Amino acid sequence: MAGVTLDSVRKVFSSGGGEITAVDDVDLEVRDGEFLVLVGPSGSGKSTLLRMIAGLEQQTSGDIVIGDEVVNDYKPRRRDIAMVFQSYALYPNMTVRENMSFGLKMSTDLSDEEVNEKVNDAAEVMGIDDLLDNNPGQLSGGEKQRVALGRATVRDPNVFLMDEPLSNLDAKLRTVMRTEINRLQEQLGVTTVYVTHDQTEAMTMSDRLVILNEGKVQQVGTPLECFYKPTNRFVAGFIGSPSMNFFAVEAENRTLRGEGLAYELSAATAEDVAGHTALTFGVRPEDVSVKSASGSSNDIECTVDVVEPMGSVKYVYLRTAETDREFVAEIDGQQPIETGDTVHAHIPEQAVYLFDRETGTALHHRSVSEDAEMEISAATEGGAADS
Amino acid sequence: MSAISTDRRRQLKEVGRHVVLFGWLLFALFPFLWILSMSLKSTADALAMPPEWIFVPTFENYIELMRDPEFAYALGNSFLVVGGSVLIVLLIGIPGAYAISRYDIPAERDVMIWILSSRMLPPVAVIVPFFILYNRLGLLDTRIGLTFMLTTINIAIVVWVMKAFFDGIPVALEEAAMVDGATRFQAFRKVVLPAALPGIIAVAIISFIFGWIELVFSLVLTGTETRTAPIYMYQFIGSRQIDWGMLAAASSVLVMPIVLFLILVNKYLAAGLSFGVALKE
Repeated sequence: MAGVTLDSVRKVFSSGGGEITAVDDVDLEVRDGEFLVLVGPSGSGKSTLLRMIAGLEQQTSGDIVIGDEVVNDYKPRRRDIAMVFQSYALYPNMTVRENMSFGLKMSTDLSDEEVNEKVNDAAEVMGIDDLLDNNPGQLSGGEKQRVALGRATVRDPNVFLMDEPLSNLDAKLRTVMRTEINRLQEQLGVTTVYVTHDQTEAMTMSDRLVILNEGKVQQVGTPLECFYKPTNRFVAGFIGSPSMNFFAVEAENRTLRGEGLAYELSAATAEDVAGHTALTFGVRPEDVSVKSASGSSNDIECTVDVVEPMGSVKYVYLRTAETDREFVAEIDGQQPIETGDTVHAHIPEQAVYLFDRETGTALHHRSVSEDAEMEISAATEGGAADS
Repeated sequence: MSAISTDRRRQLKEVGRHVVLFGWLLFALFPFLWILSMSLKSTADALAMPPEWIFVPTFENYIELMRDPEFAYALGNSFLVVGGSVLIVLLIGIPGAYAISRYDIPAERDVMIWILSSRMLPPVAVIVPFFILYNRLGLLDTRIGLTFMLTTINIAIVVWVMKAFFDGIPVALEEAAMVDGATRFQAFRKVVLPAALPGIIAVAIISFIFGWIELVFSLVLTGTETRTAPIYMYQFIGSRQIDWGMLAAASSVLVMPIVLFLILVNKYLAAGLSFGVALKE
């Protein structure tokens, strides 16, 4: 087992005369035994990063270290890694057993009996022991996924790399496999780097998240940290569903104005943004409450545009009366509300995020309870790998 | 009542389908039947007009054919030359197609067209240059010379079909194999090649058929030493008369290996000719 360290790793693709920087100067430390999730929108460089760790892609510059070996010039087979692909990439002409023993036969000197024994054990763990003689073409999506995982685990590698392994499964199976991969990783304790564009997977599975955008690391942290203390506007908007609402506002003394918002900050909050005038005001939908009568001067008068009942909650799409700006509130599923209603949206100050509008840097985070604060800071101090 | 009539209609439809298919089969296979029946006729029967549909079959044509050592020699030549050329064309064409499919090759499209261009000219246009070239190189009337010629003829189709086939095999398969500890070559040999087997069989058959029936180049580039079976057959067409019975018998024998081959690999062929699109991972 081993950790993985990336040191100023860059990847530039040249295409038709132009150059595209897919991964831009990434420093990252994956701790031994950790479940690290790389998450970001498509084109953020997360898959390229994973493929560089695997050795399937050569970095343009920078070092990749697995364990204590610099593996820059190592072919994939020398890196002692196992990878699970989005398409599963099961060898179509081999049975499940042959698929699972292929890696052992290629990379070790084990006897046939030893290989068989290991394959049987791994198959049992994955619950595919009765499929060993089948061909991949005969398997369902979920079974293929298990075989792909079994093929990875049987090798007992230093590092697991997983490239969107659940994205070809239907929603229900995805949830099941999510839990299963989590349990498997905990059992085996193997360092795992997992790529996904799905923030639910990112939040629920990871020990730590790496949020990437346009080839750059936006934030490294625990799921809660990224959720409650995003370093910038991108992270704030990317993590959380529905996404955070943003308003472009100008600060005048302690009052923020713009896009139908007129919000007066307390002295303490105003201090955080002192010296900045062009700001982005952020609030998560679940922190917006909707009332029929105005209770504070900070409330926003709006009309209800669309109501989406989800069961326990409702997503309410509101338009500000003044500027017709749309934003979302998540309210209790039982609260009565109808399209066309005129309501007042209340945003409590402890839920407010403020960002520099130019740079996107977070200037003020929402306040969190002391217990949550403890949890977040404990995890952060566990390792100061983030830049 | 309606259930019965639906059943009935389906039955009729099925019968109709078979009648049509059988009719088409008869039409398509008629030339073969004609040749086969001709090969079993005596000379007198063969020339009868109108043709005799019912006759006493005789094997005299086949017996005469088998007695002629020249025929066995020509058949042997054909097997050697065509078999050799298929082997060479696969050995060159498959890795070539793989390289074009997987690596970034400058002007890939042009390279592919360039390869195809070897098939664009009618043989007649290049036969004289080839004759002169072969004469200079001392390749005239040699088996190896003809083998190279057939290889040249078939390389384009092998590269084109196999490239399409490799394009249909996900790169992730090789990547998985390489992560699993295989070298690039091992990944190609143990994972990609088996997945491409239907395509390989298809192009092998096509190349074999093209080589087996090749007449124009063989006629010009071979002499007495290296006559292939089609050239041998050609002698039955004389300036004054055509020995239909012998011609038909030789044709029937010549078709046999191809028919046998096709029956053997029938199940791969359909997948192969669909260019790997139907590949299941």
